[in-house]
Amino acid sequence: MSDALLRTPFPERAGAALKDTFLQEALKIATTKFIDLRKQSFAGFPQGEALRDRARAIKEATLQHLDVHLERLADNVERLGGRVHWASTAEEAREMVLRLCRDRGVRMAVKSKSMATEEIDLNEALEHAGITPIETDLGEYIIQLAHEKPSHIIAPAIHKTKGQVAELFSRELRGEFPADPEVLTAVARKALREKFLQADMGITGANFAVADTGTVVLVTNEGNGRMVTSLPRIHVALMGVEKVIPSMTDLVVFLAILARSATGQKLSSYTTLVRGPRRAGELEGPEEFHLILLDNGRSRQIASTLREALYCLRCGACLNVCPVYRQIGGHAYGYTYPGPIGILLTAMLKGNESVRELAHASSLCGACKDVCPVRIDIPRMLVELREHLDREKIAPWTERVVFKALRRLLLSPTAYRVSATVGRWVQRPFVRQGRLRGLPLVFGKWTKTRDLPPVAARTFRERWKELQ
Amino acid sequence: MTGRAEFIERIRREVSKTPGLFGASPAPRPADPAAAAETVRRELAERWPEALERFRAEFERVAGVFHRVPDLAAVPAAIGAIARGHGAKRLVTWDPVALGFDAAPELTRGGLEVVAARAGEEDEAARLRHREQAARAQIGVTGADFALGETGTLILLSGSGRPRSTSLLPDVHVAVFRRDRLLETLEQVGIMLEALHVDPDHTMSGAMSGAMPGAMINFITGPSRTADIELTLTRGVHGPKEVHAVFVEAP
Repeated sequence: MSDALLRTPFPERAGAALKDTFLQEALKIATTKFIDLRKQSFAGFPQGEALRDRARAIKEATLQHLDVHLERLADNVERLGGRVHWASTAEEAREMVLRLCRDRGVRMAVKSKSMATEEIDLNEALEHAGITPIETDLGEYIIQLAHEKPSHIIAPAIHKTKGQVAELFSRELRGEFPADPEVLTAVARKALREKFLQADMGITGANFAVADTGTVVLVTNEGNGRMVTSLPRIHVALMGVEKVIPSMTDLVVFLAILARSATGQKLSSYTTLVRGPRRAGELEGPEEFHLILLDNGRSRQIASTLREALYCLRCGACLNVCPVYRQIGGHAYGYTYPGPIGILLTAMLKGNESVRELAHASSLCGACKDVCPVRIDIPRMLVELREHLDREKIAPWTERVVFKALRRLLLSPTAYRVSATVGRWVQRPFVRQGRLRGLPLVFGKWTKTRDLPPVAARTFRERWKELQ
Repeated sequence: MTGRAEFIERIRREVSKTPGLFGASPAPRPADPAAAAETVRRELAERWPEALERFRAEFERVAGVFHRVPDLAAVPAAIGAIARGHGAKRLVTWDPVALGFDAAPELTRGGLEVVAARAGEEDEAARLRHREQAARAQIGVTGADFALGETGTLILLSGSGRPRSTSLLPDVHVAVFRRDRLLETLEQVGIMLEALHVDPDHTMSGAMSGAMPGAMINFITGPSRTADIELTLTRGVHGPKEVHAVFVEAP
């Protein structure tokens, strides 16, 4: 994400999003639709709950022996004639792609949608080196033309109207195109078909990689994933190390729940299994296959607070149900991965400093945990993250002082009783229509956008004493 | 740059900090995948009509067009009818050996231009020629190695005589299959994929019939689609706008 955007503090970014009436409408329609589709899909799928448990168990077990599974994956990819590269950092991963491009004279690369390439800012690096990256997922293509960033993991351009897309295509592709999704899709099909046929390199992420067989698995709806792995002479797949799974038996467990969680489909239109470069006797397919395994802060969490975030399948279900995401959308988060899981992934990849404010962009309602296909306990990790921010003195001092005071108060029955009595007096000027509003000093930050119930006329303890 | 040893060592170190934290084990794989695949085949030999009905319903639900013909001899006419329906002039197909039938003579008599891939062709000139032909064709004809009832999915293995672009570049994809290709559940697909893995020639699963296997497997569930502009469902973004399944009744 651009530094300029990140220099604006999160509350201002969120505030701007709240005032954007189109964004508000788009978010409401999109997230509500995704929620309904998911719900319907699981309603007619009684085995879904058991499959979610199994999927979670597979992720847990795989992580427990991640080193073994990665070595197995690498051995099998190499046996099939592919090359495996090991990237500890985003910088190393970028450098590997650039070196491949340089050594092989690559001028243009077509990309299918990949959050991992977003995470390492690959497009900027390629452009800087004089190589043209072309995003081919329709949503990603739109935002690339508009020089923006994705606002949803699976629907990157939900913040744009068809009118805006028509305007953008008319300007960038030189034509007069109506604000009709069907026409605009056809325009993109034609423009991108040429690119698929010309490009030297196809770049993809990976939804899964099967260690047993050395297979990289891509799940797409548009068919661009198939194009970029079938037509260019080189295929580069970039994946986070946590995407490895042991076997094909495991793969079908994930396939059964991934698309249902994301779009409510039983399966996405295309599930593409790639085993290395094209085989002898095969007419089409790349002559070279490269797999880049990306760590970038992931391994640090295997035995740490954010471990469960490594189970994430990137389906986007937790975004749709999150009361915060539904209001502010993906851009306000400011980083590659938005939504509840995005806060945890940002902490993992960019360090705790970067989520000083974001860690609080959650009401801890637990809706995310309920819909997560692998039942990631996001609220628990957010609370732990807040604890860490406090302990590492990353949280603002006012917040730390308030919570320390609160802790003292709640630990001592006397202090609690006294504070209730004092509070009843102090709150008087601020109680309007039965709610606390417009508090002074730092407390005003809370009541600026919400109200609070006042301290009751008689506390529970007082009433309890009378009942005795 | 990080080397493999250093990279793995770091992960091993982190992993070793969590001994016994999680007792889960991965999903059990079939002990003998070939035998498990054989069992599935035997069961489906009895139950195929139900699997076919499920496939038809699910395939139509994802906007697939289902056809049923009595035998292989009726396939060219079915393809011809689809072509006429689209005003199509040009077709590309898999190698007739991989398909199990040769539709070219009849379709050509009907005025269509048919280009069939040839097993063994793999040089650069052939590759470019085929790509050009596939990109110009309105219809691509393939077989299907599996047809999955649970989701209405066609599963295609690439290989010699089975180019990847036949089912991808033309506007319309037509897949032809017989009853022995039917599966009921994703779980059975898992068993077949395990069997393919231990048996690279794909003889046990009945797929490929001895042809050289390629590096790609595609699960195709309906036409190419997107909802990226205002969540409006639109078909035929990059891949086919229509998918047809032609079921051949005769075993």
